[in-house]
Amino acid sequence: MMAEEVRKKRPAPDPNSAKYKLGQIAAKAYSDCIEAKKRGEMVGWCASNFPVEIPETLGLHVCYPENQAAAIAARGGGERLCSESEGEGYSNDICAYARISLAYMKLKKAPEQDMPQPDFVLCCNNICNCMIKWYENISKELNIPMIMIDIPFNPDYEVSPAQIEYVRAQFWDAIHQLEKITGKKWSDERFREVKEISGRSSRAWLAATACAKYTPSPFNGFDLLNHMAVMVTARGKKEAAEAMETLLKEYEENHQKGTSTFHGEEKYRIMFEGIACWPWLRATSTGLKNRGINMVTTIYADAFGFIYDDFDGMCRAYSRVPNAINLELARDKRIKLCRDNHVEGLLVHTNRSCKLWSGFMAEMSRQIGEACNIPVVSFDGDQADPRNFSEAQYDTRVQGLMEIMEANKGGH
Amino acid sequence: MFTLGVDIGSTTAKAVLLKDGEEIVSSSIVVATVGTDGVSQAIENVLRESRMKRAEIRVTVVTGYGRKTYPNADFQVSELTCHAIGAHHEFDNVRTVIDIGGQDAKVLSLNEEGRMVNFAMNDKCAAGTGRFLDVMANILNLDISQLAGEAAKATAPANISSTCTVFAESEVISQLASGIKIPDVVAGICQSVASRVAALVKRVGVREPICMTGGVARNDGVRRALEKELGVGITTSERAQLMGALGAALYAYDKAK
Amino acid sequence: MGIDELFGQFHEIASSPRKQLDKYLAAGKKVVACAPIYTPEEIIHSMGLVPMGVWGAEELEVHEAKKYYPAFICSVMQTTLELGITGKYKGVSAIVIPSLCDSLKSLGENWKYAVKDIPFIPMTYPQNRKPAYGVKFTKAGYERVIENLEVATGARFSGFALANSNRVYNEHNAVMREFAEVAAEHTITAAQRHDVFKSAWFMLKEEHTALVKQLIAELKKTPEEKNKMRVVVSGIMADSPSLLGIFDRNGLKIVADDLAQESRQYRTDVPENADSLEALAQKFAAMDNCCVLYDKDKKRVNYIVDLAKKQNAAGVIVLMTKFCDPEEFDYVPIKRACEAAHIKNLNIEVDQQMVNYEQAGTMIQAFREMS
Repeated sequence: MMAEEVRKKRPAPDPNSAKYKLGQIAAKAYSDCIEAKKRGEMVGWCASNFPVEIPETLGLHVCYPENQAAAIAARGGGERLCSESEGEGYSNDICAYARISLAYMKLKKAPEQDMPQPDFVLCCNNICNCMIKWYENISKELNIPMIMIDIPFNPDYEVSPAQIEYVRAQFWDAIHQLEKITGKKWSDERFREVKEISGRSSRAWLAATACAKYTPSPFNGFDLLNHMAVMVTARGKKEAAEAMETLLKEYEENHQKGTSTFHGEEKYRIMFEGIACWPWLRATSTGLKNRGINMVTTIYADAFGFIYDDFDGMCRAYSRVPNAINLELARDKRIKLCRDNHVEGLLVHTNRSCKLWSGFMAEMSRQIGEACNIPVVSFDGDQADPRNFSEAQYDTRVQGLMEIMEANKGGH
Repeated sequence: MFTLGVDIGSTTAKAVLLKDGEEIVSSSIVVATVGTDGVSQAIENVLRESRMKRAEIRVTVVTGYGRKTYPNADFQVSELTCHAIGAHHEFDNVRTVIDIGGQDAKVLSLNEEGRMVNFAMNDKCAAGTGRFLDVMANILNLDISQLAGEAAKATAPANISSTCTVFAESEVISQLASGIKIPDVVAGICQSVASRVAALVKRVGVREPICMTGGVARNDGVRRALEKELGVGITTSERAQLMGALGAALYAYDKAK
Repeated sequence: MGIDELFGQFHEIASSPRKQLDKYLAAGKKVVACAPIYTPEEIIHSMGLVPMGVWGAEELEVHEAKKYYPAFICSVMQTTLELGITGKYKGVSAIVIPSLCDSLKSLGENWKYAVKDIPFIPMTYPQNRKPAYGVKFTKAGYERVIENLEVATGARFSGFALANSNRVYNEHNAVMREFAEVAAEHTITAAQRHDVFKSAWFMLKEEHTALVKQLIAELKKTPEEKNKMRVVVSGIMADSPSLLGIFDRNGLKIVADDLAQESRQYRTDVPENADSLEALAQKFAAMDNCCVLYDKDKKRVNYIVDLAKKQNAAGVIVLMTKFCDPEEFDYVPIKRACEAAHIKNLNIEVDQQMVNYEQAGTMIQAFREMS
């Protein structure tokens, strides 16, 4: 069992630090929406991989139910809200983000993270098809418009011209529908601005996460799970680009100074596969840290690279997010991350809430392990439902992974 | 007029001998599983206790998990219907019946006339049933009858969050290993069953008055945890485990009239 | 043929897909497997190939597929993959798998490595299927299937042949719709009704049409079943013999279904269009009322209620395939709509690895007792 952590007196956060700035941006994403709603403006709920360029260019306020669910789960409200929607008849088999969100739609309040009720929903299924059902139910129950951009799962390595055409047509359809619903107008000039900023944020993010190539890594990979929230919710905003650039600078500085946000000796370097176990962030992080295991990379390091030159490029970028690509591309991206970042082991989170991500994870992980010659270990967990995790099992599995990595190093 | 209700459960066989659809002349609970002669024993017990012969029984109704294999009944009725009838007879105006048995949990919703209008049963899963308590009692080296007493002594109920019995098992073991006191662990176990069952209740709708039937009803730890979880009082009776057989005997009387 | 002999034939075909497969192979035909829920069978048929549905198997223990799938993927995927890995589909030239739900997406990906001797052909349907750009994308998906089929089987595609197949499938749709109507008012068990629907997946549609037409004529001579409780079933499938037996033993009569494996397949015809491939794409655009077909108005919910009313059904029984997200999301609005319309409803969890349907039996019996 974990020893009780000594509560250190925390120093006041440095307002110039990336962590502080990113925290502010993440919080502001919610408060901006709440303020906008109070002013009588329309507010939308938006899927995490929906093209943020669209609401940003139109000047629409949107907030992110997935992000909210993660925050609620991380702050201990996961079970309460899941039970609420289960009481309505939703199966506990359904993604916990959806269960939490559907409960929030009904309760309209959650001290862990509040958000205004939506006047429209922006759905994009490049992250999964559950999004469609989840948002259908919100739209129907609240009787509000649903804008749906269908980005099909791509069984091929490259995005076909037919798919680009289909996605492009839907982007424009979505823009026109939103213009009608909200009265806002699309501006090509504004789009160019947003595209620049989004590109800037993405480039900084990719460069920052690539700093894991250094040994030791100048950062604790678990940090990425928090900072990621900004890439999801605010990558089209100038503050986000600046904050990401600050993050990059800090990581480079750490490397120069030989320091890291991973406290303690970095004995082993792993890739963490899957969504974080938000309700169990501390347990999962500590289980690694105590053994000197640093999660140096994750697919998220590669995920928010929305860098493109034109509209079609944007369509292609959104068609290539982690959950919309085939096994081979998904595998190859991870192999590159493992190689670039000198990864020694793969820890796989078999996430009860996510069938899409877990669906071909076993085969893909085997192929990654073989290609990189690293051990692969999995554990059962859940992104937001705290009841689907066993600390004892996690600990045992991580111990096992460590022992194999140790043996591979030529140790006992 | 005498009627007989037989409830063949997964872990116990129960029989109730009823006079004129009102008075319970005798009853019996025999620990046995389907296929063994627990049923015959239970019936023999009630007949002997009331000094009656089988032939004097006008109508026999069988219910429960093992009802399909029992040949000597006039009617075979689901335990859902029987628990509803039994509970309606036993508890005034009851509207919601929570039955936690050896291997499943059921929630029944009754209308003003005591007719069942809706129900829900648990998933094919041990959690939230008597089986879960059996597994946990085994780890703690306790008899299942001791659980309520232990839970009552708890000062800080442990949190056992896993929905899965197997996971919960390892949670309990970890907690014992780190020195959490047995009463607190037991309270946590009762809480775990309660929250599983509460979810089922909410699906059907919480309508008072609420009663608890079935074997686990005798476990005050679970009942109190359920009350807390649902925010309402839950009655039970010493005859909680006999509600199915009672309901069957009442149904039999209805048919005989 | 007498009605008993006809039922016997349907049952024989429904229970022996392997025999059907071997029969077609022996006759020199090539067979293409079609995964749930929808695939462009008309195209496969038009190329002279035999489309056969693969919906997993009842009472099948999964062992090999566990290497690929965690426990919480639905049994249709698990058992289908299991059958593939254990060689039960040997002889099939290819498998077409649509990406209509999250688990189907992974079936194709796993198949590439788990069942290397049967090529995987993806059918990518659009969710925004109704606008012109959606129809265009459906057509592009079809063209890709055609290309892959030509490589896998050597068969050639022709728009003219497709026009003919479209007609064959439309005729089959009409006959199945008529069968469902007639079955609602005449003597037939749940098991027999299911055999008729299931056998359609293992035969060339024109052959099935001929048999069903004969059955309809005979069925019309049988009396109505007035003492049974009329129910509508909804879900992915009602395939378990044990479960169907429970319906029959408890006096329940299925008077209409909203099952993916059954009536959902036959609601929509291919429209008239000089371009047969375009017409087939328009068919998909016109389809609705299914958990895997995007519909922000969720018309499916009212569709089920209306179906129950139209057929004078006393209740709706939802057979919830365990781990089926799309059905689980739709369930709550369906339940609420039934309650609002004062239609009794029941939710029974089903799973192809289940052998013991005791609990379902109790629930169905109680459901009957409640009315």
